Amino acid sequence: MDLEKFTMMKDSISKEEIVLSGAPAAPGIAMGKTSLYQRSRPTVSSQNITDDEIDHQLSQFEKALGEAKEEIRKLQDTQENGEIKELLQAHIEMINDPDLRKRVEIEIKKYNQPADAAIEKVFGTYLDLMDNQQGLLQERSIDIEDVRDRLIHIINNNDIQDEIEQGSILIARELSPREVIEFSEQNIGGIVMDRGGTTSHAAILARSMQIPTVVGVENASTSIAGRELVILNGDRGEVLVNPTPATQAKYEELMARAADEQSEMEKICKSPNTTSDGASFSLQANIEFKEELAAVRSVRAEGIGLLRTESLYLRHDQFGEEKQQKAFYHAILEGTNPHPVTIRLFDAGGDKFFDQGQQEHNPFLGWRGIRMLLDERALFQEQLRAILETAVQYPGRVRLLVPMVSSLQEIAVIKEVIKETEEELAAKTNTTHIDIQLGIMVEVPSVAMQAEHYAEQVDFLSIGTNDLTQYLLAVDRGNERISGLYSQRHPAVWKMIRHVSEAGKATSRPVSVCGELASDPVAACCLLGLGINELSMTPGALPMVKKALCRHSLDEMRKLAAQVSESITVSDVEDAFVKFLANE
Amino acid sequence: MIREKVKIVNDAGLHARPAAALVKLASKFKSDFFIHMYGYRVNGKSILGVMTLAAEQGAELELEIDGEDEAAAAEAIIELINDGFGEVYDDEG
Repeated sequence: MDLEKFTMMKDSISKEEIVLSGAPAAPGIAMGKTSLYQRSRPTVSSQNITDDEIDHQLSQFEKALGEAKEEIRKLQDTQENGEIKELLQAHIEMINDPDLRKRVEIEIKKYNQPADAAIEKVFGTYLDLMDNQQGLLQERSIDIEDVRDRLIHIINNNDIQDEIEQGSILIARELSPREVIEFSEQNIGGIVMDRGGTTSHAAILARSMQIPTVVGVENASTSIAGRELVILNGDRGEVLVNPTPATQAKYEELMARAADEQSEMEKICKSPNTTSDGASFSLQANIEFKEELAAVRSVRAEGIGLLRTESLYLRHDQFGEEKQQKAFYHAILEGTNPHPVTIRLFDAGGDKFFDQGQQEHNPFLGWRGIRMLLDERALFQEQLRAILETAVQYPGRVRLLVPMVSSLQEIAVIKEVIKETEEELAAKTNTTHIDIQLGIMVEVPSVAMQAEHYAEQVDFLSIGTNDLTQYLLAVDRGNERISGLYSQRHPAVWKMIRHVSEAGKATSRPVSVCGELASDPVAACCLLGLGINELSMTPGALPMVKKALCRHSLDEMRKLAAQVSESITVSDVEDAFVKFLANE
Repeated sequence: MIREKVKIVNDAGLHARPAAALVKLASKFKSDFFIHMYGYRVNGKSILGVMTLAAEQGAELELEIDGEDEAAAAEAIIELINDGFGEVYDDEG
């Protein structure tokens, strides 16, 4: 083979599209030229200092600590994410570390080490200890290395500015949190790291700052060259090196579509909550964790229509500590100000808690929700105290939602327990009245049928369509063999909802829907048509629901509701839905 | 002097953020505070020392608290650790 041919072949081989896989750390797709980043390790002085220089070196060290702390504080101020602020706090605590200071000072005073070498040596002893460990710890040592290098850079006065081309995709062995923040200011398009997992600090930051990122791509920094075209797929955790023109075109289209959708969603979320003919509605979010608050805010939900509390309890061997519960509620109320938050009492079967060694034959019809809470009074009161104390702090914003109510007698007992707890609290905190609304989940068919009698006893009703459907249709929603029989669009479900809505009107009690049905855009229109204008759903579903509600008139929705009410089978309902969509 | 055993309960263990919360709290007290684990003994007011322990979920630590405000310090520190450093879990257990 002659040389020319060989070179051509080599070129075509090296230009072949290669797919490298790693872990998806932050979603999104980015395409661009790569920039390689290699952290420069600062060099430190190797000569010992004379006794005369000790004071100067000590003050250099002192100055570096002060400056580094100031820098981190400034970074902290630029961040909104609490998790990141806390992480940067760990860097500040390293600078405040009394042992570190003592040991560096000894190196300088006793062993005549210059400040930079002393820092290097003392940090080294900590890092050596971490090196012996596996896995996660290696990820963690990057925070320590970062603080060490900042201190040395400050002492040596080399201000490193790592210039990265705008919009390029950064390829690095690994990045410290500080580096991620700094590069984000240079508008990088994406990040690829050799090391790190999806829970590494760099990954958390990338997600928070919405920089598409793939981590754990073995040898990315050694196998990818600089200024090479790559496509980074942060949804799938893939990096495509040298994509073919066909692949490029495919991804360009994907990116354009995603950008269009994103801007449309943002526009929808910002628009007012009114139908095309001006009727207003309210959309809230169903959540379980405080980490979901960012999503709640980004879709502009008007509060929390369903705050699940099960995980709060299940995370402990015993019941959740009251103080911890309050901290959780507090965080949710702070993050949703000024909107209301509906806290649902612990809703699960007793089998999760009490080791009774007894499997129930029909757990969904068994000892669960309020039935269990009324028997386990201590658990019930603990949660009530935490919720009521929160309500004192946030008057008018807390709503209490009771799950699995199936008799009027239960409501009477619940009210008694609330009163007792209130009195106990009043004596303790000097409050006379607690401003909290009491509501029940309407999920048991008998309650839906007698909704007017239940409504009279409480402040609001919330229809849980998931369980209502399974109880009404006698279909276990977890049983795959009969999943074809489970449909929240069933005409009988609609009949129940209509009845509850009318009962709410007759008794002047607000009715909302927090089940899956509310996250189905056409069903949401039908709910509005039935007079239910307060819906709560998973935050991700909110923009699509809002889009449907804004686009149609209340008049059209009422017509849809009327048609659905006349439906006999699920397919009649589906037909009405299809027709409704076709009318756009 | 107070000596007491505690267990790390939060999922992610004693990593940077919990370690920062721990030393910050411990530093508010005058008492000396040391942590024993696997035969190591580190200063509980030194985040670098605490981080090198790499205590994972389930790890048992022995706290040693000595000084005039040791009772209050022990109570606060043990509460923080038992609370899982206020971290929220992502699993449903």
